[in-house]
Amino acid sequence: MDCVDAIVIGSGPGGAFAAYGLRGKRVLVLDVGRDAPAGERLGGNVYDLRRTRDDLFPELIGAEFESLHNLYNRPISLKLKSPFMSFVVRDWRRLTPVVSKTFEGVISLAKGGLANAWGAGVYRFTGQDLRGFPISVEDLQPFYDELTSHIGVSGANDDLVPYFAHDDALLPPLALSPLFSDLLARYGQARADFVRERSFLGRPRLAVLTQPWNGRSAYQYENLEFFQPRIPAIYTPAYTIDQLKSEGAITYLSGRLVERFHERDGQVRVYARNLDTCEAEVWCGRKLCIAAGTLNTARIVLQSAAEYDKRLPVLDNPMACIPFFSLRRIGAGLAANDSSLAQLNWIVDDLDSGEAIQGTLYGATGPLRSDVLFTLPLSFRANLTLLKHVAPAAGLLMLFYAGTETPQSYVRLRSSGELEVEFAPTGGNPAIERKIIQLLRRIGYLSHPALIERPGMGQALHYAGVLPMRAEPGPFETHADGRLSGTAHVHIVDGACFSRLPSKNLTFTIMANALRIGRRLARELS
Amino acid sequence: MSTAAPSLAEEALYLHRSLFGETPDPVTIERYAAAHRKLFPNDAGSPLLARIVSRGLDVEAVEFALRRRGAGGELTRKIQILSYLVEVRARYQHCFVSIEPGRAKAVVELAAAVIRSSWKFVKGEYLVRRHGLR
Repeated sequence: MDCVDAIVIGSGPGGAFAAYGLRGKRVLVLDVGRDAPAGERLGGNVYDLRRTRDDLFPELIGAEFESLHNLYNRPISLKLKSPFMSFVVRDWRRLTPVVSKTFEGVISLAKGGLANAWGAGVYRFTGQDLRGFPISVEDLQPFYDELTSHIGVSGANDDLVPYFAHDDALLPPLALSPLFSDLLARYGQARADFVRERSFLGRPRLAVLTQPWNGRSAYQYENLEFFQPRIPAIYTPAYTIDQLKSEGAITYLSGRLVERFHERDGQVRVYARNLDTCEAEVWCGRKLCIAAGTLNTARIVLQSAAEYDKRLPVLDNPMACIPFFSLRRIGAGLAANDSSLAQLNWIVDDLDSGEAIQGTLYGATGPLRSDVLFTLPLSFRANLTLLKHVAPAAGLLMLFYAGTETPQSYVRLRSSGELEVEFAPTGGNPAIERKIIQLLRRIGYLSHPALIERPGMGQALHYAGVLPMRAEPGPFETHADGRLSGTAHVHIVDGACFSRLPSKNLTFTIMANALRIGRRLARELS
Repeated sequence: MSTAAPSLAEEALYLHRSLFGETPDPVTIERYAAAHRKLFPNDAGSPLLARIVSRGLDVEAVEFALRRRGAGGELTRKIQILSYLVEVRARYQHCFVSIEPGRAKAVVELAAAVIRSSWKFVKGEYLVRRHGLR
């Protein structure tokens, strides 16, 4: 049997950058690889199109009524249900079934993974964030730097530098919506009050181009994020996979669902199902990098060990969504040239937990109004009026708490092939949320604790920690180089190997860590 | 005495006239019916809609009163489907989006919306009780 240097499972942030790190070797990427619809694009500002094109039903609702998903099915993120975006979560329940009483998230089998519909937040982990990891900031730093140069990161070195790190390679930040421009100016005036409460505001670090970069064009402020995948300015790992394919650096095979692996004679055999032919396939590699997404990585590892009793820990960021609005901006009119991406970040340095709790602020003009119409308290027509005038004056602060390991949060593979996923309920930190609301009020923005919503566990889509890296790993844990304990050539390169989950989007660190491991394996293979 | 359920096309026509004050185009009616056939293939006709249509009741008021009681999910869903279908049409954009700035106009419209909503709630409560809707 022909044996490649390395097999990479998955094409999300981990898989793409493990493969990138392995450039120069014979690399085979196996992926289910559901892809974005070819050739279908909205092509313009969404609000201009809504005014000038008589009928956007095919693009915004879909011939299969995709955008009505949440009316008849388990609710999913508004970003995942429009006709051109629904490929991101297509088939996952059928191909990788999950049973749960508490899990409200999704899995992606798409080329590029969930990062096809992400907020593009790219945050370096600090020493504080890496507590419990057997690697340090210094280990990741060169890979963060290389990634910044490869994908292009916009942002600013502002009050959030202690939490996001200083970075001289940043592109200029995105233009702010009028609402957030006002909010940031008011923060500047009341900064002393915020500092006293250990709260800080600043610009997000985004994998979004504000100027042309590596053959991709700059962001156009078309407010298409809820409807259009693969906007050139917004990075997705699918771009790196396509680049590696076009360079001939990898062989990319889609339509492959990997089920298990087996080590023999210094090689790794990978057993996959060809989804087109339904035939079983066996592939051989000298090294294996698993990046199937945390939950499916756990599934493959447990299936390979034929382990049906073991409960592995699992982490996700509990969330709190705090809506707020400005009375001054009511009637300001909608800014059509806008973005649904993160506008600002809010950090609360919580001395009690030793955690810097991170919030991300978004505008409210991205989704269809019909998505939220009946969450408002008035009658139908009155709610329409409310949305029309208040949406441009409203924002949403999504607060992410650190994930915590508890016995009630686990994944277990059933012998039937279903993955059991459960999360312990969590209530957030009401004291911190009240403090945020008080500070918002101090700068003229209204909110109330009664308006806070707590999405169900799994909805942050930041799954991690099922096979954590340890200095001295035990069974179902990984070494500092991602190598799965008890194996010689199997490496975990996605969020599954995270030792903990801080209050910070993990995607950039998945990329950096996968690149680190990929490079190391490339050296070993040499 | 039971009332024959309206067809999906009759539902769409009635809901649209009540909520937007005009007759919908045939495309909207067809999409409304197609959405129900595709997404809710096992739904029998709606007795609630049948009563509302046959008695010519104020659907916005009834829906609001039922929603406030935590009931009437089916009616809310039907209105939401219609809302999705019209929101992506250019001629309805003025119902959903305000591009032009105008603070005084916005404040007046919001105040009127709150008053209207209060009136719809009172009326809806009356209709729900009077006609035994749920």
